[in-house]
Amino acid sequence: MSSVLINIGQSGAAAARAALELTSQNIANAGNADYTRRTLSQSEVVGTATIGLFTNTAFSGVRIGSINRSDSTFLQIGARDAASDLARADAELTNLRRTEGALESAGVFERITDFEAALGQLEGDPLDPSLRAAALESGRVAADSLQLASNALTDARQSVQVQAQAGVDAFNVEAIELAQINEAIFRALPGTAGYAALLDRRDATLSDMAEQSGIAVEYLPNGGVNVRMGDANGPVVVTGTAAYALSGAIAADGTISFDLNGTAVVPASGALSGYSSTLITQRDLQSDLDGIAAQLISTVNSAQTNGVDRNGAAGQPFFSGSTATDIGIALASGTGIATAPAGSPALSLDTGNIAALRSALGSNGPADGADALLFGLSSRISGQEVTRDALATISQSADSALGAETAVDLDQEAANLVRYQQAFQASSRIIQVANDIFDTMLGIR
Amino acid sequence: MSIVSNSTAAFYQRSLGQMSGLRSELERLQAQVATGERFDRSSDDPVAASRLRALARAERLDTVNGDNADRLSRDLEAASDQITGVSNLLIRAREIAINAGNDAIGDEARNAIATELEELGEELFNRANSNALSGEPLFAGEIGTSAYVRNPDGSASYAGTAVSGSLTVADGVSIERGVTGPQVFEFAVGGTPGDAFALIADLAVALRTGTDPGAAARDTLAGFDAALESSNRSQTVVGARLAWIDSLQQNQIDREFLRAEEQAEVGGADLTESIAQLQQTLTVLEASQASFARLSSLSLFNAL
Repeated sequence: MSSVLINIGQSGAAAARAALELTSQNIANAGNADYTRRTLSQSEVVGTATIGLFTNTAFSGVRIGSINRSDSTFLQIGARDAASDLARADAELTNLRRTEGALESAGVFERITDFEAALGQLEGDPLDPSLRAAALESGRVAADSLQLASNALTDARQSVQVQAQAGVDAFNVEAIELAQINEAIFRALPGTAGYAALLDRRDATLSDMAEQSGIAVEYLPNGGVNVRMGDANGPVVVTGTAAYALSGAIAADGTISFDLNGTAVVPASGALSGYSSTLITQRDLQSDLDGIAAQLISTVNSAQTNGVDRNGAAGQPFFSGSTATDIGIALASGTGIATAPAGSPALSLDTGNIAALRSALGSNGPADGADALLFGLSSRISGQEVTRDALATISQSADSALGAETAVDLDQEAANLVRYQQAFQASSRIIQVANDIFDTMLGIR
Repeated sequence: MSIVSNSTAAFYQRSLGQMSGLRSELERLQAQVATGERFDRSSDDPVAASRLRALARAERLDTVNGDNADRLSRDLEAASDQITGVSNLLIRAREIAINAGNDAIGDEARNAIATELEELGEELFNRANSNALSGEPLFAGEIGTSAYVRNPDGSASYAGTAVSGSLTVADGVSIERGVTGPQVFEFAVGGTPGDAFALIADLAVALRTGTDPGAAARDTLAGFDAALESSNRSQTVVGARLAWIDSLQQNQIDREFLRAEEQAEVGGADLTESIAQLQQTLTVLEASQASFARLSSLSLFNAL
């Protein structure tokens, strides 16, 4: 009789102690983003006597059950998808902003305007050698600024390509890790601390994968997952213990295409998708920039052929090259600038040709093109910022909802600490009571 | 366990997010107050940035036009000075031609007048070939070399072009650079064309060797009147252009003001507003920091 009491007290104390340990574990992991709050299930132990005809039951205390994770698959999916969208917007915005900074600091618009201004000054005194030299030099600066912009754009593009390749690598590493986690989960015993830790790792890896590309996750009954890219009809990335590799290929125009185990895929969300669309934007910017350079070159060079230089000789091309990358100065000196119309004598003060060039450059000219280029890019970024902010809010609230469900609340744990401490004390009191009863029995005379 | 739990990590993350949002807002406002500019990259306000670029461009090109207007104004002033000199010279030549027309004066006096006329002719030729400050001839039209050249027989002939070309001095406005030699020095008397050089030189020759120098001198008076009329007309034309440039320059100054105003409006930060917002955001940030400190110290563990 009293030994049963001792057993009950002991099992209660053990259960309270296990719960205290788990509470301490929760508190210790309060700052761990991948950790999911654990609870301990307990069940009553009732002994059934079958010897003889006694069918009454005897209480035997409590049994420590399994360790449970407070998990919510639904909230997990919401948080993961929101994070995918945010990662896409972030990747695109960060890189576009860098591109904008590079293009703005190259100052194509300002330098072309300076060139036009120098031509205007030359129109004031077309025979002044220093004004001629100044016009030639500001033409050189305009050409340099186009080259600078082109180089900066190339650098920005290469940076995105490197990030995209790194993203592909990270995605592959995580897919392999997930396959290994699946294997470990299949072998682990549900309800154990190890099993719970594996599920934590599984969810963390899934989140990391979702940062790179949107994924669809199929949860298997034993806790493992199958992963597809995009939606539930997308190509398989991880199935059971097998993972398939993603690869990215850079095309000649700088854009990237992805391939999963031989099938072409287009990530709809995640950072990889952001990189991909940034590269497309950058390709368009490059062709716009080349267009501006081509317009500058052809406008100035054709004006040159319509006029004569300071010595009365036919005008020669001012710029060499045909794109923003290879634009350069062809004229050897400012003397070669054709200020006067064809047929004028040497040392002509006639500025008809340079006036025509100025008006050709002025209306819908390269400066307007440079302005339109910057305006298009900055409007796009400005729109993206709004989208990004909205996605950040969505992602944050999805994270909060998930956190409320699965993360550690210190106040709750503090209350549990007190509760299980009391339970432990009460259980030890039971043992003491049993001891008292036993002593009382022995003391009867 | 049906109580909705409030995740500790989420609480810290949320508070951090709110406070760093306020902080970046503060930094933006601080930059506005420090630089006086509303934004520092195009994407902050694409439309305004594009407008600012257009304004900067207009300012740059307008400055060049303004410089050209200044230069043209100086050239025209120089031309005006020379034409005044030419007019004075013609008046003096007419005076002494009247003297020479007096049959009572002797050969000696006529020779002296002829000498003065030759001097005046030389001065006229020099004035006709005078240069602007930039070194280019004033009356040669569109060529960069001398306006008049001496022929072997001593007469002067025009070597320049018939028009003087024009210069852009404001957006869409171009003004002729000057007046050509023929406009100043050539005239017609009774349908017969002539020029001031020949008029003076011929009179000097007639006074020295002519059969009736007095009549010859009297006959030239109509020519001097016509020559003076030509130079005065050119003077008026130059004066009108100078006045036009003046009004254009005034316009340019007005435009500059308007542009500066628009620049301030489009891209400038309203200091009063920025400072007020700064103060408001500061207050909010201080309050949220204080409440964060209070909330985060509110842990059940302190009560255990």
